[in-house]
Amino acid sequence: MKSRFGKVVVVALFMALAGQVQAGVVDTLQQEYKAAGAGHFSAAKGEQMWIEKHKDADSGKEFSCQTCHTADLKKPGKHEKTGKVIDPLAPSVNKERLTDIKFINKWFLRNCKQVLGRECTPQEKGDFLEYLKGQ
Amino acid sequence: MEKDQKGGQSVLVWDLPTRVFHWLLVTAFVMAWLSYEDNRYLDVHTFAGYTFFGLLIFRLIWGVFGTHYARFREFSYGPGAVFGYIKGLFGEDMRRYIGHNPAGAWAIFALIGMGLLLTISGLFVLGGEERHGPLAGIVSFRQSVPFRETHEFVAWMLLALVFIHFCGVIVESLFHRENLVGAMFRGTKLADTASPSVRPHRLIGATIVTVVAAYVIASFAGYLTAPAEQPYQPFKGPELAMNDPWTEACSECHLDFHPSLLPMRSWEKLLAQQEDHFGDDLVLDEATVSDLLAYARKNSADLEQSEPAWRMNSNIAASDTPLRITEVSYWKRKHEEIDAQVWKRNEIKSKANCGACHLDAKQGTFEDADMRIPGETAFDEIEWLKALFGTTPK
Repeated sequence: MKSRFGKVVVVALFMALAGQVQAGVVDTLQQEYKAAGAGHFSAAKGEQMWIEKHKDADSGKEFSCQTCHTADLKKPGKHEKTGKVIDPLAPSVNKERLTDIKFINKWFLRNCKQVLGRECTPQEKGDFLEYLKGQ
Repeated sequence: MEKDQKGGQSVLVWDLPTRVFHWLLVTAFVMAWLSYEDNRYLDVHTFAGYTFFGLLIFRLIWGVFGTHYARFREFSYGPGAVFGYIKGLFGEDMRRYIGHNPAGAWAIFALIGMGLLLTISGLFVLGGEERHGPLAGIVSFRQSVPFRETHEFVAWMLLALVFIHFCGVIVESLFHRENLVGAMFRGTKLADTASPSVRPHRLIGATIVTVVAAYVIASFAGYLTAPAEQPYQPFKGPELAMNDPWTEACSECHLDFHPSLLPMRSWEKLLAQQEDHFGDDLVLDEATVSDLLAYARKNSADLEQSEPAWRMNSNIAASDTPLRITEVSYWKRKHEEIDAQVWKRNEIKSKANCGACHLDAKQGTFEDADMRIPGETAFDEIEWLKALFGTTPK
């Protein structure tokens, strides 16, 4: 019994810690974005952009974030071209999400270029994070 | 040398080891022919080859130390005897030999000699092309080519010889009105008292069967015992260098294709144009790019460190710089028989998804026998099995 209790404590501590890291990372990034000129961040605006479709200039196909990440962020997604499975994006089911600044920056850069054909503004990135952290 | 007329007594001519040898050799020969064409059954083919070789070695020993009719000196006939025997078939003098007749004896020696040539050339192919077996790495990929040609040629010659041997058995059976095939099962023939009956040597016969059975289990039990999520791999390829930054960078979006699958110039070009990687910007920093390049240069296909590397590289013209593995003619040829419907399956979806069928795709070794199409069994894949048994229920 004692060891099981110990395990529960360790797991709970770990989860709390992961939550802390997440909050810390999102805060840090959003402060950066504000320093770069962004205003108030809105989860609703983030969600709206998440769903919005964009026409690819070359192929004429329509893409949104959901093309790969699917409509349910708690479920795994799939790379549109290669079929590679993408781990769920919602921090509520995937504790590793929103914990690594370098990783977030890299994928904002890649995915914004893929879907929007350009880099995202600090305001847009802040809105996306605001939406995603509540998932 | 026995040249008796048919008598009334049952005599044991073929001891148990000789009979077991004969029928196991037939089985291994058939098995090798059925498994040679499709690379996936290379493990079956090598099993048949090793068994064939082992049986021939036993026969050589038995030809010296075995029982009366099995000894080579009992059926060492000169060309005159062979000619006389064949002439006799068309004339009055239909001599009956209790052991091997002169023509049959020559066929036996030729079968054993060509069988050895076949299996030994096979060992060179296995060592050179596949880097397996006792000769692994001793012969280079290029040196193995003439061995492969020899192996194929001798296999056809041996098949022809088996056919001649079989015709000889039929002709002799008809002429002397006796069932020689049955005699190779029972071991006995009718003869007069002058022909000695040999000891059956049951223990040695049983030992051969046991050894082959143990070899069957050692070779194929893995298919039954391996868990579904970790299918059995009969061959483990040579270990190729892996690299963490490479794995990490590539596997973010797709399989981390091993650098041994494309030449150096392809990787250089791919990384030089990383801002337009098949339409996507990889946004890799300079340090990462130079790390990846360093690893790719040391392990690219031009260095021919593995069979797939050699095959891919020797099928790319020096003037070509393919950016996709699937553009290379060797890749296309190897995959042309796969139905368009198969590619669309959920477990596969993309031609870039090598790991869907190749169990060792990540390691870059692409062993012949380490592939299977998800959801299909041998019964769906092999034409003659399908014809015999239909498809297995899913």
